[in-house]
Amino acid sequence: MALLGLSTLTHKQDVDAMIRDTLDKVLVLRFGRATDPVCMQLDETLGKSSRELSKFASIALVDVDAQEIQVYLHYFDITLIPATVFFFNSQHMKMDSGTPDHTKWIGAFHSKQDFIDVVETIYKGAMRGKLIVNCPLPADRVPKFELLYKDI
Amino acid sequence: MPDVEVNYDDLNTVAKLQNTPRYHDLMKKVDEAIESGVPATMAKLSEDDPEYQLIVECNTLSVDIDNEIGVIHNYIRDKYRLKFPELESLVQHPIDYARVVKRIGNEMDLTLVDLEGVLPSATIMVVSVTASTTNGKPLAEEVLQKTLDACDRALDLDESKKKVLNFVESRMAFIAPNLSAILGSAVAAKLMGTAGGLSALSKMPACNVQILGVKKKNSAGFSSATLNPHTGFIFHSEIVQGSPPSLRTRAARLVSGKSTLAARVDATMGDRLGQTGRAFREEIQKKIEKWQEPPPPKQPKPLPVPDSDPKKKRGGRRLRKMKERYAMTDMRKLANRMSFNIPEESSLGDGLGEGYGMLGQAGSGKLRISAGPSKLSTKVKKFKEKKYGSSGATSGLTSSLAFTPVQGIELSNPSAQAALLGSGTQSTYFSETGSFSKIKKIV
Repeated sequence: MALLGLSTLTHKQDVDAMIRDTLDKVLVLRFGRATDPVCMQLDETLGKSSRELSKFASIALVDVDAQEIQVYLHYFDITLIPATVFFFNSQHMKMDSGTPDHTKWIGAFHSKQDFIDVVETIYKGAMRGKLIVNCPLPADRVPKFELLYKDI
Repeated sequence: MPDVEVNYDDLNTVAKLQNTPRYHDLMKKVDEAIESGVPATMAKLSEDDPEYQLIVECNTLSVDIDNEIGVIHNYIRDKYRLKFPELESLVQHPIDYARVVKRIGNEMDLTLVDLEGVLPSATIMVVSVTASTTNGKPLAEEVLQKTLDACDRALDLDESKKKVLNFVESRMAFIAPNLSAILGSAVAAKLMGTAGGLSALSKMPACNVQILGVKKKNSAGFSSATLNPHTGFIFHSEIVQGSPPSLRTRAARLVSGKSTLAARVDATMGDRLGQTGRAFREEIQKKIEKWQEPPPPKQPKPLPVPDSDPKKKRGGRRLRKMKERYAMTDMRKLANRMSFNIPEESSLGDGLGEGYGMLGQAGSGKLRISAGPSKLSTKVKKFKEKKYGSSGATSGLTSSLAFTPVQGIELSNPSAQAALLGSGTQSTYFSETGSFSKIKKIV
């Protein structure tokens, strides 16, 4: 994680501060574990592109196993790891990628360029005042998952 | 004119320096000073010190000796021209010339003369070859004697000059401590000698100081492309030669700048201990090291913010012409419109396929829709037809060149124009290149 240049957050205040203080930039929060292989793949993509997107996006990793972070897992309804949530000016940005869940992105990205495209789309949409954007990636590039509904 | 000849014939009337008392006095003093060795007291050479005066005079003397050697060289050359005229262009340096003349003497066959040690082997070869085909004649005995005397004089002067320079070099640290701290006493002495004194050197701009001591050898047959430009004493000094070859010119420029400053300090006796010079030397070394550092690694540039710069829309005639190719044509406009209560025709009939709208409807007022010339297009010239006059029905083996008996090869085929109208099978009614078919003379 240190090698990637991305900071890992474990405390609630850190996450709060991050969301509050990122102005006019897309905030990418990855919820996951460093040990999970899919997570590791995603982390590498995030790390490699962090410098290129530094002008309009900031990226941070949130450790899902920390005690204080469980609140967020409950709030964002994160069950599958890794999950990436996008924010712009403290506003939660949704993206319709053809999956059942628009509030977050589940899984890793196929390539660095895919991730860059997604972040750019979110930025453009946010600058125009949209709260939900359409995913620029074709369906085969979007990792598919099944949404499990508990107790329904 | 016999008078003039007599004047220039005698060496002593031309080369006077060696006979002056001044010369003899100075040489004596120099010999004494060399024998007495380096003065025990370090530095503290003020302007009134007799030793300093001696050194200043030595500098002017070395310049005078140079002039004298030049004069004697002219003298020898004039005399020896009758014997071997080409030698002066092959051997430019006056002292080398004198040595060669001494060795050759009155000899006609150069294989009997050994020029080893006097000239580089390439030059020896060229000289021998030229000598075999020279149109010179042997000199008279007394002329030969005078010439050899002059050569001896020149060589003597050269020896004394060397002595003087050695003496100056040994005292260099006391004369110009700052300059010799940067360049070393040998190069500093040479610079001072060539410039003609410390004050003369200090008055020169740095670009001139860089050029001091450059040899202008452009001997016949040798290319000057490989010779380095502007390589004087400073270029061949230790500090510049110690740097990597690619940086040498840059280093020479830097060193000449700093050494000019040091010379100016020395001329005004600003720093007698040489600390300024040493500081300059360190600065120079540091700069040379800095130049050798690798450039900083390139950081990948972050991407620009999306939509931050509005797209630069271009305009103008060219763009409008480009747009015309995709513009809505009149035909398409008519096809898109429909008139009320009149069913349109379609490409596949019965409402299938593309609809034609008002295109081709009766009463639409237009018989035919054609493309029409666009507002911006220029008429495309049929270049080949107009230039070469081919009707287009010629076979591929014909050429536009015509071989006429009068003018040889002509580029345009004059019979082609005649062929245009000549062939009765082709109608010229609609031809673009044809002209009147029947020209009748009106009487």
